[in-house]
Amino acid sequence: MRLGLLLIAVAIFTFVLLSLSPIDPVQAYIGADMMQISADQQALIAERWGLDQPFWNRFLDWLGQILQGNLGVSLVFNRPVSEVIAARFQASLQMLAIAWLLSGLLGLALGTLAGAVAGSWIDRVIRLYAYTLAAAPTFWVALLLLIVFAVSWRIAPVCCAAPPGVLSQNVTVWQHLHHLLLPAMTLSIIGIANITLHTRQKLIEVLHSDYVLFALAQGENLWNIVRYHGLRNILLPAITLQFASLSELFGGSVLVEQVFAYPGLGEATVQGALRSDVPLLVGIVFFSALFVYIGNTLADLAYPIIDPRIRLGGQMNR
Amino acid sequence: MIASCTPMPTATDRDNETQNSSAQSGSSEQIVLAIGGESEEGYDPTLGWGRYGAPLFQSTLLKRDENLDIVNDLATDYTISEDGKTWTVTVREDAVFSDGEPLTAADVAYTFNQAAQSGGLTDVTQLETATAIDEATVELKLKQPQSTFVNRLITLGIVPEHAHGEDYARNPIGSGPYKLVQWDEGQQLIVEANPNYYDGPPGIQRLVFLFLDEDSAFASAKAGQAQVAAVPQSLAVQTIEGMTLRDVTSVDNRGLLFPFLSANSKTTPDGDPIGNDVTADLAIRQAVNYAIDRQTLVDGILEGYGSPAYGPVSGLAWEEPEASIEDGQIEQAKEILAEGGWQDSDGDGIVEKDGLDAEFTILYNASDSIRQALALATVEMLEPIGIRVSVEGKSWDDIEPLMHSNVVVFGWGSHDQTEMYNLYHSQSAQGDYNNAGYYANQAIDGLLDLAMGAPSEAEAITYWQAAQWNGDQGVTTKGDAAWAWLVNLDHTYFVDDCLDVGQSQVEPHGHGWPITANIADWTWTCP
Repeated sequence: MRLGLLLIAVAIFTFVLLSLSPIDPVQAYIGADMMQISADQQALIAERWGLDQPFWNRFLDWLGQILQGNLGVSLVFNRPVSEVIAARFQASLQMLAIAWLLSGLLGLALGTLAGAVAGSWIDRVIRLYAYTLAAAPTFWVALLLLIVFAVSWRIAPVCCAAPPGVLSQNVTVWQHLHHLLLPAMTLSIIGIANITLHTRQKLIEVLHSDYVLFALAQGENLWNIVRYHGLRNILLPAITLQFASLSELFGGSVLVEQVFAYPGLGEATVQGALRSDVPLLVGIVFFSALFVYIGNTLADLAYPIIDPRIRLGGQMNR
Repeated sequence: MIASCTPMPTATDRDNETQNSSAQSGSSEQIVLAIGGESEEGYDPTLGWGRYGAPLFQSTLLKRDENLDIVNDLATDYTISEDGKTWTVTVREDAVFSDGEPLTAADVAYTFNQAAQSGGLTDVTQLETATAIDEATVELKLKQPQSTFVNRLITLGIVPEHAHGEDYARNPIGSGPYKLVQWDEGQQLIVEANPNYYDGPPGIQRLVFLFLDEDSAFASAKAGQAQVAAVPQSLAVQTIEGMTLRDVTSVDNRGLLFPFLSANSKTTPDGDPIGNDVTADLAIRQAVNYAIDRQTLVDGILEGYGSPAYGPVSGLAWEEPEASIEDGQIEQAKEILAEGGWQDSDGDGIVEKDGLDAEFTILYNASDSIRQALALATVEMLEPIGIRVSVEGKSWDDIEPLMHSNVVVFGWGSHDQTEMYNLYHSQSAQGDYNNAGYYANQAIDGLLDLAMGAPSEAEAITYWQAAQWNGDQGVTTKGDAAWAWLVNLDHTYFVDDCLDVGQSQVEPHGHGWPITANIADWTWTCP
């Protein structure tokens, strides 16, 4: 129910906002051929896309279709929006998944390490790394990695999702991963910083608690304390953050895909925006809202598994 | 930007690619082209696919040869009625679609009728109806005579009526030299020779088009991954081993549009201002045209890969050679200004007339470095004659409301004369890009209408030329000087030494795909 309302609100907001965009989709479509296309033909193009209708007609028509589950046809790609999103998301999904897992695991590990030895040189190095990356723009990191790995060292391809001239059935798993790796790495490097810093903070808090003092007094060593008292406590904020970061990840992929010419959903978003492709953009916003919502719901569902106190009926003990 | 380029092959890439017999070096079996040209909405001619270069999958009724002369392709003959409204075309009978079905006059009629109502990037709105009279004859009836209609016969690829559905754009079937194998959207297009092609099999069996930006295209050529790469003029000065720079003349022009009316005379339908008091003065427009040294622009900004432009149709059959001028003439420009009443009376180096300083702003699209350089060079060249110019880079969305009252750097260039008509006809000025300067001259309108209404291109040429300059008036410098055309960009490509791409046409606006116009004739000359 809440999801339904959220999606409707998001869709309406995006549609209205985009319809106010100064970019005229017909002119953006015609581009340099402007002089050969007569006014009659421009009217035909507008008619094909329903742009000749007044705003309210278009809006109501579109809303009716949305309610029936029809996202419409993309102006840029001339095919149903759902198909465009499905095809593009397939490419993006693997990249996002790799980036998400890497950043979660590495962030947690680094944060735990830094928190456990807070104040030491290891902590300082990790913190410096995290602060730098937290402040670094995604596209800048992407360009940096591209220069180092693809241009100077030549161990990664510079663009695309597959090697040129190879039929899709002949693309090997390794080639596939090879083209995926650099964009995925860029995305995960950025995500790590956030999780590291929060995990570190939480662990320091835990280590200064009374029960840890008690455990220390009993002669428990640091690593066992982290393992038995720390991990469960720091997992909660880490997981919340990790799932909440899905939206950032999604946003980051727009930039990263642009830099690496990786034909995923992010690249389609840019094209749609440059040409004022309202159905496509609304579809993508719709889809990403769903994506983030599912992420947050998963986080909610994961809490009781990690922390028994959050399980249903837990209030009764109070 | 430097970083977004250079797809270098890695050791592993190389191994993998030899295994898959791909992309490393060219052969008559396969070449790789990095010349852009992806059509995001697919490969449907009725939506405008193939409007320049080769439609690849489809073939057209007529085509332009390397001299831009019109020759038959699918058509064996065509006649135009006295009143210019009925075009009768006979179609060859040996053409077969790549799915094995024969191509008939019914398919031609279907294609034209479909294109007329499809709302794409091909303008067939003058067509009233197309009918197949028999198996091999099709009759195209026009609403009005239109000499430029021949361009539709040249660019509109014929689609099969039986297989033209919703998914056609992604599964094109046609009678062209190649057929689609795989299209990875945003990345590459792989095509293979069509064994049924009526003109015999093309010289290269398989083509791979990589959709890279220009820097990446250069890098992939340098790495030996592409056999043809379209590169910007700034990269053309580089050398690549095993490749030769091919420098193709084009009508891809850049010029300065002048607002023709005086300020505040009226506004566009959107309420944007029209007119500029300085550029409304003929003396200013002519002086600018004479003062600019176009060859210096070509040498300095285009690295020599270009040519001076004195009109909108350089190098095409309908260019009026008499319209050219001797430029870089500072003294002559000063004289023109003085005769026009522009004098520097207050000694500030800027001429003025009736208290109005000779100054204007040149707007250019900020994302285009060549346009920026042209605008800046113009500032320098006009300073000595006492015209003060400032420049401003903006996005097209910001330029649009200002382009009827400011000088703007535009780029056009087409094989279709419709463009010239829309650049200068007073009726075309409707507040958008067509005749954005609101140029208006009744005599010119008359000539343009005669050219457009002539039954054939050959008969229209005289009028197109006269509109440029007929010894008395015209749109070019000696006449109304409605624009200051600056340069034509050469289109520069690196082509493998083993690849013979024949003789190229004078290319239209749009660097890249036009080189494919004769792609079926390309051959691999090395063993």
